[in-house]
Amino acid sequence: MSTDNLGEVKELDQYTRTALEHGLSRRSLLSRTAAAAVGLGALGLNDVAGAAAAEDASGGFGKSSDGGATLSFLPKPEPIAESDIVKTLTFDVVVVGAGASGVPAALSAAENGAKVGVIQKAPFALSQGNSGTGINLDKSDKAGIETLVARMIADNQHRSHPALARQWAYNSGEAVRWVIDRAKQGGSPVIDQGNLQQVGIVKLGGYNLDFHTSFFGPKPYTTGDGMRHLAVTAEKAGVKFFYNTAADQLVQNAAGEVTGVLAKGQDGKYTRFLARKGVIMATGDYQNNKAMSDYFIPDLKHMGRKQMGKTGDGFVMIYWAGGVIEPIGHTKMLHDFDAGPATMCDMPFLAVNREGKRFVNETIEMSVLNNYLRDAKNAGHYSQIFDSDYMTQAATWPGHLIPPDGLKNWMPDVPGPKKGVFESFLNTHVADTIEELAKKIEMDPAILVATVKRYNDVVASGQDTDFGKPAKFLVPVAKPPFYGIHRTVRVSAITSGMLVDENHRALNADGKPIKGLWVVGNLGGGFYGGVDYPLTVYGLSLGRCYTFGYMVGRQVAKL
Amino acid sequence: MQKKLLLVLVLLGAMLGVGAAAIAQSAKPDASASLMLGKMHQNNGLTCETCHGAGKKTTVPMAKCVTCHETKALAKRTENVKPNNPHNSRHYGTEADCNLCHHQHVKSEDKCAECHKFNFKVP
Repeated sequence: MSTDNLGEVKELDQYTRTALEHGLSRRSLLSRTAAAAVGLGALGLNDVAGAAAAEDASGGFGKSSDGGATLSFLPKPEPIAESDIVKTLTFDVVVVGAGASGVPAALSAAENGAKVGVIQKAPFALSQGNSGTGINLDKSDKAGIETLVARMIADNQHRSHPALARQWAYNSGEAVRWVIDRAKQGGSPVIDQGNLQQVGIVKLGGYNLDFHTSFFGPKPYTTGDGMRHLAVTAEKAGVKFFYNTAADQLVQNAAGEVTGVLAKGQDGKYTRFLARKGVIMATGDYQNNKAMSDYFIPDLKHMGRKQMGKTGDGFVMIYWAGGVIEPIGHTKMLHDFDAGPATMCDMPFLAVNREGKRFVNETIEMSVLNNYLRDAKNAGHYSQIFDSDYMTQAATWPGHLIPPDGLKNWMPDVPGPKKGVFESFLNTHVADTIEELAKKIEMDPAILVATVKRYNDVVASGQDTDFGKPAKFLVPVAKPPFYGIHRTVRVSAITSGMLVDENHRALNADGKPIKGLWVVGNLGGGFYGGVDYPLTVYGLSLGRCYTFGYMVGRQVAKL
Repeated sequence: MQKKLLLVLVLLGAMLGVGAAAIAQSAKPDASASLMLGKMHQNNGLTCETCHGAGKKTTVPMAKCVTCHETKALAKRTENVKPNNPHNSRHYGTEADCNLCHHQHVKSEDKCAECHKFNFKVP
């Protein structure tokens, strides 16, 4: 139990109680000791002195939740000399991070009357992906929405915070429509795709669902470009962006309330950004912070990264301000929608690993295949193999087939203009023999030949005695030319973060909000929690970023 | 490869501004691929202190490089490099940290090669 003001006792929900017990915070060492003494998953601790002592003992680094490990990626911040702070700027709202949640947060705050400053370490707003989705409440059955919420929680291996799932469900339609409108105002060619990507979930448990989906595309135009267009609208609304400025520490008063941010410019000098109403942290994930990634998700050790500069700066800042990193069991997102057609990524053709060997029942979706390719040799590489009869063989398979002529768009060896793709990542090949194909998709020809022969035997038998794939998906690889899509699943994002309440306020180790501090986007915890990011709701990741940014910007501005 | 290196070095020499008259006119670098950038700067009249300042020699922030190698001008100079301008990208614009690729006392690297196949020759 935690005490709100005026003695009103608020029962903490199960998600928050567990996150407090097992999460990483400055007080976690103390919590463990007190909990053991009282014999409960104890809360309501107010011993600041104890925390400080535990901290000094750690030698200037944060600790694991059991107090056993000293964590190199959580260095205690050095106090910044006043002489290094060359400027102080005051706003109502300071947003840290100009991405898919930060830019919407800034604009939403400005539209609700706040003077807003945004701090971004990159030279411009950054994001990735294309689709962000939200539920159209007008055309959805409430029972359908609740069915989807239940499904989302199950997709997260039951570890997420139901209140946050509902927050997205009941507010995302409004937020996504708003993002579409405001991005258009900034010059974006964004469209509302409606249910185009959600056909699998417009009918759920017998109930109806309808969606708004913001589509920033086609590639190479992405949500990154979309957020840059949205930033144009934000600047017109009076938001001030400070690019090439790296947020370094949160400013707190004696009572622990967050009052601002200290950020470093390219010249190494600091600016103090003061926030009268609040700081909204939106710095995204930590995939490029090796020590942090290796600790929270060792499965990512050998995997490539798609992003750059995602060093978990917000995690470090909030941790040292008293926040809680949600417990071990962080959620990863690894995809390759670029080497070949995205719409064919889940088609259960023969799949071979980097060695050329079959390795999985190919009905396993691309979005979780990374788990089979975690080792140093495979490191996310695999290839889909099919022959020239694929258009008839796979006609009813999940996804959408691209005919042979269209496939050339994904073939780097075929000259000619490419449309709607990132040319750097194309990796689809065609060859007249399996041996030739093997060389193009970079594997041992002898091994691939043997694999294909074994696979064709399995197909002929009508029973997949090797991997148990349903017989309807057993089609031979026999008639040239032969195709290979060499995908390399790489980290798109990590979607676990700091403990927040349902209003996205950062909570401290006592479960109480840290005044003046909000967290949105992938930096916010509690929305996922499974092993992998689920693709049941296509566009959920960006949809959630837009929704919580939009809501929190408005909320803080109105304080 | 040697020719391209020479060309880039001449361009580098040509575009340097304030206090760089000596560099601008000479830029007669040894086109050997193994010549470190630090040595090249030294050959053109810079001392350790020019970049590191007095005292302990720690990593030099990009801002120091920019005092001679202004980013927008640099991007203009390399705008015809194929397949992409290394100094104007969709990831960093013109503000990529020089130190990502250009090392002074060890061999430089093509940071873009982590994901892309641009095959830049990096001085």
